[in-house]
Amino acid sequence: MSNRFVEEGLRSPVNLTWEVSLACNLRCSHCLSSSGEPAKDEMTTAEALDLVEQLYEARVFQVNFGGGEPFMRPDFEEILAACHGRGIMTCISTNGTLLDSARVERLAATRLVAIQVSMDGAKRETCDAIRGAGVYDQAIAALKLLAKSRIPTSINTVLTAQNAAEIPALHDLAKELGVSLRVSRFRPSGRGADNWQSLKPSPSQLLEFSEWLAKSGEVRTGDSFFSLTSQERQGLGLNLCGAAKLTCCVGPTGNMYPCAFLQTERFQAGSLREQSFQQIWDDSEIYASFRSLRIHSCEECKRFDQCHGGCPAVAWHLKNDINGGDPECLERCVTSIADDGVKESAA
Amino acid sequence: MAAAGIQLHPACRVRQEGFGLLFYDSRGPRLLFAETGKLLDPDFFNSVRRQGELPAGLSEREQSVLGKFIGLLQERGFLREQPIC
Repeated sequence: MSNRFVEEGLRSPVNLTWEVSLACNLRCSHCLSSSGEPAKDEMTTAEALDLVEQLYEARVFQVNFGGGEPFMRPDFEEILAACHGRGIMTCISTNGTLLDSARVERLAATRLVAIQVSMDGAKRETCDAIRGAGVYDQAIAALKLLAKSRIPTSINTVLTAQNAAEIPALHDLAKELGVSLRVSRFRPSGRGADNWQSLKPSPSQLLEFSEWLAKSGEVRTGDSFFSLTSQERQGLGLNLCGAAKLTCCVGPTGNMYPCAFLQTERFQAGSLREQSFQQIWDDSEIYASFRSLRIHSCEECKRFDQCHGGCPAVAWHLKNDINGGDPECLERCVTSIADDGVKESAA
Repeated sequence: MAAAGIQLHPACRVRQEGFGLLFYDSRGPRLLFAETGKLLDPDFFNSVRRQGELPAGLSEREQSVLGKFIGLLQERGFLREQPIC
């Protein structure tokens, strides 16, 4: 990764997260956007299609669709088709409950889509405790349908205290199904903030996961774990936060943010109802502040070159300070475990 | 047998940036930043090119540098062989 080119600023994001709707048929306890009911005044079909044209003009390479459950939007396949018609690659994050063979066949007709099915445990009871009764079986059924198609498919798991011990088994399950595994970081946003204390992985779980990840090069993380990345995975992905530099987020009503975990008024970069995508990307003060963000408090850390202060969203949600450094970085996990060891010895 | 040309891999995209060309490979995903300035238009990669083909009007040195660069793109999987007839 060349940070120099990234920090000089790109003409547009490489990819972006587009949360097309807050509507969701599930109520997962870690949901980053507290999805359930659709947001008031979500983008119309015409507005969504106009955004696709703007993304094409801006030469955005890939759109990662999320929500909410994207398939809850009746026009979602129309939006997808517009992206594919313009050669824009897409990735859909779905709970899998609304996928059937006809839909999978339609999606497979293009070679421009990849799908991530959310699943939060290798065991039915672990997954359903987070996502709701019966969801594990529906996700497995969707994964089996997708595995038979030519759509690149992965299981997407948010690492929590409850499923941390099951990640290797999930990896085995993914291999058995013929799909890949992607693990995402749990962040204290949306309902995830309400349930942070009960779901957050402990420092020792994070450390154990980091060590496992180092040996599992084929497991993807969407770089959400760059602050935990060990030496072994360096070179596979980012070594800094890509928000407003390589990526950004479009919310359901057309507001733009640095990333999906910072969809609050404080971090609103602009509205697509008032400005163009390119204007917001080029001129937003919020984006400018992220591009010049330097986590000075971390600069003395021996791992600084590997994470540059980690995830500002976690720092914001936990410490109300994006300049504060990631409280869950690898170095802090090690220190926290060492401190606990000292306390135990003293006791 | 059809002669082999080269083309951007279907999983890859390229665009112009201030420093040169930015390549994206969705299979990683991974990025490649190429400090090519304006020497090579991204559209060059959107159709099948003969092995060794380069845009017209380049100096010998530029041809040599770009030739090596295109070889590197092939080696890293951003470009792939494609029949041209």
